[in-house]
Amino acid sequence: MQAAPRPRVMSPVAAVGVWAAAQLIPSPLLVIGKEHVGGGLRWQLTPILYSFGIAERPLRTFLVSPIARHSGSLELHVSPEWACCAPDEQSGWLVRAGLRLYLPLLEHGEKLSWSVGGSYYRAAGGDEKNGASADLGIFTFNGVFGLNVTVSPWLTRRELIAAFTFRLF
Amino acid sequence: MRARRLLALVLSLTLPGCGFAWRALKRNLAAPPERTVAHQIVDPKRPEARLAALWIGHATVLIQLDDRFVLTDPVFAHSLAQASPRLVEPGLAPERIPALAAVVVSHMHFDHLSFGSLDRIEQRTPVVLVPPGVRANMPRYSFEIRELERWASWEHEGLRITAVPVQHVGGRYALDAAFETRAFTGYVLEYHGLSVYFGGDTGYLPSAFKATRARFPTLSLALLPICPDAPRDFMQYTHVSPNQALDAFALLGAQHMIPIHFDTYINSDDALGACPSELRARMQARGLSDDQISILAIGEQRVLIAK
Repeated sequence: MQAAPRPRVMSPVAAVGVWAAAQLIPSPLLVIGKEHVGGGLRWQLTPILYSFGIAERPLRTFLVSPIARHSGSLELHVSPEWACCAPDEQSGWLVRAGLRLYLPLLEHGEKLSWSVGGSYYRAAGGDEKNGASADLGIFTFNGVFGLNVTVSPWLTRRELIAAFTFRLF
Repeated sequence: MRARRLLALVLSLTLPGCGFAWRALKRNLAAPPERTVAHQIVDPKRPEARLAALWIGHATVLIQLDDRFVLTDPVFAHSLAQASPRLVEPGLAPERIPALAAVVVSHMHFDHLSFGSLDRIEQRTPVVLVPPGVRANMPRYSFEIRELERWASWEHEGLRITAVPVQHVGGRYALDAAFETRAFTGYVLEYHGLSVYFGGDTGYLPSAFKATRARFPTLSLALLPICPDAPRDFMQYTHVSPNQALDAFALLGAQHMIPIHFDTYINSDDALGACPSELRARMQARGLSDDQISILAIGEQRVLIAK
């Protein structure tokens, strides 16, 4: 009997391309402000993450495997965000940079994990351009799906944001 | 259960012909409840055995080599990646597993490496052997995680375990298969003149089986996967068919074979029981006996060489 053909595996370059394309998929937002409810979109990049739950190679950049993140880690993230229907004097765009701690709940976080974090935002336009936020999240299915709630007391009409996250690495 | 069946019905109406992945998903959503194993073995230690094997399910086998126990690909999970439910409960409860000399893990796929399952046997083994690249994708445990390059060996108190070549793919989350190009292996266990081949998952690669036989010419037992088989054009790269498993058995030149990796989870188009039925038919055609090839039920233990 002949040998089986070799498995077809994506090249690393193509895999990085797929990963990059997946990062373009935004998390939909439910934006809840005083006297206002709207929608929005958020993206995230992880320039650096330190995993204290992984057995080897704790420092990761950008392309982070789910087990490295959800088994217990601290990440620096950058998150551009757009909220629909901002007041006339404000743009819907802002960018956040922050730290987020992930902790495992079930099966080293693959099944269930949670997060707590803080970020500094800079919004485009308006008087209240900068400020601080806190966030709390819960993640399942190897971190692919999650819910992250961000509280920004001084961000007009966007005081509370619920993000339904989808992440492939 | 009702919700799962409803979702299966919706998928079958809305996603016809979307390929193997959708078919597997639909079958998993409609999977029956986990079946229990009647008359589970309470104490798997067999004082009368030199070589015994207990099939716990899928690729999980408890191997006894005289007074040493080794566990392969330990998976006791009730579902894989929260998507594929287990069809039959583990044939041996993790708390009944005796003190192990080692655990071997063939690769990172969810049906071979289960972090929750390793939690349940964490105190029973001093070491888990894995292929290159796996350590960086495993959480911390109290046992040692030792990577073995191809043909490299780990040895302790007379037990030697060597990583041997197989044909498969690495990675755990699909995309990482592109980076983890060496993260899969088979193993040969040797102790007191006994030797056991564990194939993990493998496509049909005669050169690998011949090379293994050249280094281990007197294998006592080969644990070979026989499923998933269908769809063959998709599975052929990474999984031997039942017939190819018999060819691999012949090329390895082992005394006995125990088929593994079937009827525990749904990961193919194969009907339940199809792979062992095909194996039996091929065994008959080749004149192979039940003494040579033992098709075990989940939870069944077989003494292959008595004292």
